Amino acid sequence: MESRKMLSEAETNKSADQVASFDFDLFVIGGGSGGVRAARFSANFGAKVGICELPYHPISSDKHGGFGGTCVIRGCVPKKILVYGGTFGGDLEDARNFGWELSEKIDFNWKKLLQKKTDEISRLNGVYKRLLSSAGVKTFEGQGKITGPNEVEVTQIDGTKLSYTAKHILIATGSRAQFPNIPGQELGITSDEALSLEEIPKRVVVHGAGYIAVEFASIWRGMGSEVHLVYRKELPLRGFDDEMRAVVAKNLEGRGIVLHPSTNLAQLIKTEDGIKVITDHGEELMADTVLFATGRAPNSKRLNLEAVGVQVDKIGAIKVDEYSRTNVPSIWAIGDVTNRMNLTPVALMEGTYFANTVFGNRPSKPDYSNIPCAVFCNPPLSCVGLSEEQAIKQANGDVLVFTSSFNPMKNTISGRQEKTVMKLVVDAATDKVLGASMCGPDAPEIMQGIAIALKCGATKAQFDTTVGIHPSSAEEFVTMRSVTRRIPVGTTPKTNL
Amino acid sequence: MASIFASTTTPSITRAGLLPKRALGVSSSTVLGLPAMGKMGRVRCSMEEGKACSHESKSKMGMGMGASLMAAAMAASMSSPAMALVDERLSTEGTGLPFGLSNNLLGWILFAVFGLIWALYFVYTSDLEEDEESGLTQTSKKEEEGEGESVTKKMAVATSLTVTTPKKLSSLSSLSSPTLHSLFFSKALSFSPSSSSFLSLRKTLLLSPSHHTRTRRRSFTLSASANPHNYDFDLFTIGAGSGGVRASRFAANYGASVAICELPFSTISSDVTGGVGGTCVLRGCVPKKLLVYSSKYSHEFEESNGFGWKYESEPKHDWSTLIANKNAELQRLTGIYKNILKNSNVQLIEGRGKIVDPHTVDVDGKLYTARHILVSVGGRPFIPDIPGSEHAIDSDAALDLPSKPEKIAIVGGGYIALEFAGIFNGLKSDVHVFIRQKKVLRGFDEEIRDFVGEQMALRGIEFHTEESPQAVVKSADGSLSLKTNKGTVEGFSHIMFATGRKPNTKNIGLESVGVKIDKKGAIEVNEYSQSSVPSIWAVGDVTDRINLTPVALMEGVALAKTLFLNEPTKPEYSYVPSAVFSQPPIGQVGLTEEQAVEQYGDVDIFTSNFRPLKATLSGLPDRTFMKLIVCAKTNKVLGLHMCGEDSPEITQGFAVAIKAGLTKADFDATVGIHPTAAEEFVTMRTPTRKIRKTNPSEGRSESEVKAVAGT
Repeated sequence: MESRKMLSEAETNKSADQVASFDFDLFVIGGGSGGVRAARFSANFGAKVGICELPYHPISSDKHGGFGGTCVIRGCVPKKILVYGGTFGGDLEDARNFGWELSEKIDFNWKKLLQKKTDEISRLNGVYKRLLSSAGVKTFEGQGKITGPNEVEVTQIDGTKLSYTAKHILIATGSRAQFPNIPGQELGITSDEALSLEEIPKRVVVHGAGYIAVEFASIWRGMGSEVHLVYRKELPLRGFDDEMRAVVAKNLEGRGIVLHPSTNLAQLIKTEDGIKVITDHGEELMADTVLFATGRAPNSKRLNLEAVGVQVDKIGAIKVDEYSRTNVPSIWAIGDVTNRMNLTPVALMEGTYFANTVFGNRPSKPDYSNIPCAVFCNPPLSCVGLSEEQAIKQANGDVLVFTSSFNPMKNTISGRQEKTVMKLVVDAATDKVLGASMCGPDAPEIMQGIAIALKCGATKAQFDTTVGIHPSSAEEFVTMRSVTRRIPVGTTPKTNL
Repeated sequence: MASIFASTTTPSITRAGLLPKRALGVSSSTVLGLPAMGKMGRVRCSMEEGKACSHESKSKMGMGMGASLMAAAMAASMSSPAMALVDERLSTEGTGLPFGLSNNLLGWILFAVFGLIWALYFVYTSDLEEDEESGLTQTSKKEEEGEGESVTKKMAVATSLTVTTPKKLSSLSSLSSPTLHSLFFSKALSFSPSSSSFLSLRKTLLLSPSHHTRTRRRSFTLSASANPHNYDFDLFTIGAGSGGVRASRFAANYGASVAICELPFSTISSDVTGGVGGTCVLRGCVPKKLLVYSSKYSHEFEESNGFGWKYESEPKHDWSTLIANKNAELQRLTGIYKNILKNSNVQLIEGRGKIVDPHTVDVDGKLYTARHILVSVGGRPFIPDIPGSEHAIDSDAALDLPSKPEKIAIVGGGYIALEFAGIFNGLKSDVHVFIRQKKVLRGFDEEIRDFVGEQMALRGIEFHTEESPQAVVKSADGSLSLKTNKGTVEGFSHIMFATGRKPNTKNIGLESVGVKIDKKGAIEVNEYSQSSVPSIWAVGDVTDRINLTPVALMEGVALAKTLFLNEPTKPEYSYVPSAVFSQPPIGQVGLTEEQAVEQYGDVDIFTSNFRPLKATLSGLPDRTFMKLIVCAKTNKVLGLHMCGEDSPEITQGFAVAIKAGLTKADFDATVGIHPTAAEEFVTMRTPTRKIRKTNPSEGRSESEVKAVAGT
């Protein structure tokens, strides 16, 4: 309530003496998911909005970006397209036991897929531009820079500079993949390049085990490449439920990916036969492509933030309050550049709430609880709420864990040896479901509805009273009658593997 | 919990279920306080004694236990307020009356505590119960139970001390009931603070089979012998499909002695063939879905072309490989089902069960008596009697054809017809669907009906609408033609009728004992699945309520609880989700738009019709349709419908949310999972249309609706 009051006071003060002198009510730097959403919704509330974005190119750099941002051009969308492409590899194997006779020679044409992918993201890039113009948002192509608390400068492609004043400035410049600091790092690539490779690599070393690493490992493996996954921890996907991490590791291995846990890359050397990859154990791997998927850093360096004193944290993320406002009252920031929860739908939520707060006269804080997410490795992982380890740490009472590990019906015929694993973590005292996770086909699609239930505090009893859809995998979530284990209050979860 | 389990206070309780109606008749509406209850108990008991005498000669079993113990047990039932309460509760259930003794506070408190303890016990302990039916169809996850077992084993060791309790208590069960009850409650309550040991105790019992069996046997002997009737079984189930197996297993787990009979295995059902597992496993959900998986590949091959995959020669399908692999899987599943029954101590009798009297079943000439009889014989496809119908096949046969149909006519527009149309179309048969109406899937949301018809036609299925079959004609070359009111279509290798299913109620003795049957041949039951004959119950398709496997499972569990757990439980039929595995498939839960308008008047409709990401690459004309129906007044989501890839899997989670009564605002507050199709359901911001039936001044204003929708 208090903040709401403050906010509206600030608003009225300003509007009283300054409103007429601004070129825009809002100027957004960065036309990705968050920026476009905020711009459109603000315009819908009647604000005069401008937005700038770098010229379109599939690979991002200091000079290139494109409306649509990471998600559309270098993230979720192209990634998922390649995941679809790669998944067919396993599907074709499975088809044989279902009676399909396939020719020995099945050809995969990477260039064709790449072309179609590029066509699709170019189309989406156009869609985003149209969305903005039909919402009445003025778009600029060029590099945005902050020159004052209410002033931005856009350097256009031809080098000309435009300067505008705005009542509010929103920074939504996202993030970019990073290279690790090891000798020979210039021989490797990041996910940006990986989405646009000329040839499909025969031998790949993926460094890292976050979601990007396991997704690319699955994509290439599905297309027939030899894939090595090298990572520092015992299990991939740090931060996810440990049991599910183990399932993912097992599945990746089952699909033919070679895992190198507890391993770091020491050096890359260019040879005639390809890139020689040397690990800190002294192991040597030969690769055509080395992908670094060791992290992303916020794009805050070239915004001239120092000039107006916008605070950033150690890794360069812009510090914001619960309403996405920086320490400079007229400057706001959303999405990956704030490094809160780096997911497209979260940036959309932050963008919507920003518009509601600043122009909709409805101050609203994004709620970060029970946000579902998915990892599109093969088979995919999806989860919402707390992991078992988090639940044990946070719960005030005992924690009940329900798990189900089963052979999906399709595998009974295909003969594929791969279990689907599902898990519910429940607060014993309140019966509330604290977390749900699943690794298996369709997991991301299945988890969305479960996420609504968790978001609204559904109890295990409410899950149990829901009748199953038969035969589906998802019905397992409503038929877990027996508790797998009960973790007494006060237990310390095992530390991160 | 072992206290409850082993003490089996149930002798009087289970017995109470015996003559509910008669008991009610005696006590009538005078049951108000404790004295009345005592009186009622006495009257009923004496009636049972009378019946017991007449029954004794028939019974093959001798009186198992001393008369003194029996008397004690009877005394218990008469003198215990709690027991009398339970008696009354059960005795009223057949009539659908509310519990009779709502003004007996003490009784209610006791009952509530009792129920709560049982509920806890139930939720936390069913560990090693094999998860049957539903799990099985996804293939016995029991194979994995090894892991879980080792965990529970560890716990069992830690709490082995408590294992002695059941013995102690079972020996105490001959005490008078009040003592027993106070003891039982104090024991149970003293357990609950440390509920982990409470839990593992039950696990311990289940873990070591020998010990478990002994304990149960002992307690059961007690209850059986305390029962003056000396039936062979507490429950005899006719029909080992989803509902029958579930009810039997649970009943056995609750301490009842149970037998189940089923016809010999065959992929085609008839009066003399069936098989453990029933329709779902052998002739329904499972084989159907396996064929759907197989047939979907042809679409996937097409899609894969768009993603850069190329085949030197067109993929060809070998029908016999598929059918052989499918049948091997069915054999495996029916075996697993038999094991499940065995492990639950349910006696499986192969043969045709027929009811002789309200407590006797004849299986191929051998008589078995039972306190309760459960009829769960399911349904069977029905082919209308038109000339040449003998040349037509039904879904049983379609799932097990010796060769793939070259050109098939499918008569009917229900879900079975559409699923088979998709299967055969995917396997490259020439498929013609004949429907009597203008649209497929009567009863489904109108927009879904339109959408799925269009999508299926785009994939190559030919629909003949408003055509009723009149005759099947077999020509000299062996090909079939279908004559309809509009003309004749020739050249079919197969003609399949998917024109409905009928309950299997013929020739199983129902008429002779007076079990009421409706016009369609379905057994009429009350909310507790009890037929017009109090000792005869029915679940699943034979009752023609909602004919779905998970519903039969629900009915089975509810019945077991009602009969053997002292927890009269009505199955809950609201917001039961369902799926059609057509291609593309459908998922739905809750009301259709038409139903919603009728029931609520003012509703907001949100729809989304989009080209999924996969289709933009594959270039195929696939689309996905989604629909939410929201009550304008309360913002509650009344119905959800989807047609498109993964619809059945997607719908399940939403069904939890809708069943829990969540609102559109709750949907909107949930963050999407990107990029999925499912996220569309949480990002529908603007209603496609608003339907207003009530006076505009009473309805919500436009802006209000927008505000809610656009959060």
